[in-house]
Amino acid sequence: MKRQVTIHWMLLLLSWSAFAYGEQSLTPYKGAQPAPDFELVDVDGDKHRLSDYRGKPLIINFWATWCPPCREEMPSMNRAWGKVKDDVSMLAINVGEDEDTIFVFSADYPIDFPVLLDQSGEVIRQWPVKGLPTTFVLDGEGNIRYTAVGAREWDDDALLEIVKSL
Amino acid sequence: MICSLSLQLRGFLLCAMLIAAPAMAGVTQSVDEQTALVSWKMDDGNFELELTQLLPDQTRAFFLARGFSKEIANRIATACIMQTIGRNITEKSVQGAVDVDLKQWRMLHNGVEKAVKLKEQWDGEWHAGEVSDTARLAFRWATFPTQQDFAPGDFGWGMTSFALPPGRDFDLKVVWSVAGVEKEAWIRGIQCAEER
Repeated sequence: MKRQVTIHWMLLLLSWSAFAYGEQSLTPYKGAQPAPDFELVDVDGDKHRLSDYRGKPLIINFWATWCPPCREEMPSMNRAWGKVKDDVSMLAINVGEDEDTIFVFSADYPIDFPVLLDQSGEVIRQWPVKGLPTTFVLDGEGNIRYTAVGAREWDDDALLEIVKSL
Repeated sequence: MICSLSLQLRGFLLCAMLIAAPAMAGVTQSVDEQTALVSWKMDDGNFELELTQLLPDQTRAFFLARGFSKEIANRIATACIMQTIGRNITEKSVQGAVDVDLKQWRMLHNGVEKAVKLKEQWDGEWHAGEVSDTARLAFRWATFPTQQDFAPGDFGWGMTSFALPPGRDFDLKVVWSVAGVEKEAWIRGIQCAEER
């Protein structure tokens, strides 16, 4: 029975990909508003404060391992990181899960940029997020400039040009 | 010549009718060959909504893995849960935000109209200490947002609860707005997945 359920979930995840991506668009945020600051630890226990990332555009992705579109877009985020890491910072904020869960996930979906843990959900509550995944693009001054609700192909050159231009 | 003009005129009129016609929501139903799960997809040119059956066992396993007790995971699993995906398919240049508020949706079962069961209602049913904070958090983010605005290219997903036992069927009135103009459409004959 358990194996059957697992297979059903896997099929559901596979069938998800047919619906996952639409137009490669970023939505301009309503005016440039300062992003809520936070301090979170990453999967290695190192502290990260949002304000430490000023000076470069920053992509912040809220996600969870059980969220099908989050899983779908994570490889493209990692490829994007490979393309722009000299010009852009990236953070993935996992909602509600622990290091072990992410460790298992990253065996199949390698993530080379910092993954922060919002285990209590305190940080996501302060951000304008309605569903997962939601991604924010911040300028070098820490203002939210664009949002993307739902998955995107993050290694798309046109999309990354918008981010780099901030 | 007359015939040619007539064809041009007909073509023009047809084109003009298409431009002027109000967006009609088409609904299609499909069955996944591998899982035999049924999906219903509605599309009006601005908003696309897809509902897919989730087996009670799928939902049960998902919530048990998120820390829910067997009893509560079972209660959720047998409440006609559908995987729900909403997308703004408006062209980017048109700039039409799609707003969805599940509080406006209505379901019709055995002649009785009622509201969709919202995540906030589930949360309110659980007593203190009955569901861990981690489990509540997973439930909150795994369920379709009660209210969401979708910019062109955005989409949202999550589980939606219709609070009917497995195997029952119902009609769903979907309400959304495009650039502030409210629209609605019925999806008929949605079937809650049976236990397998």
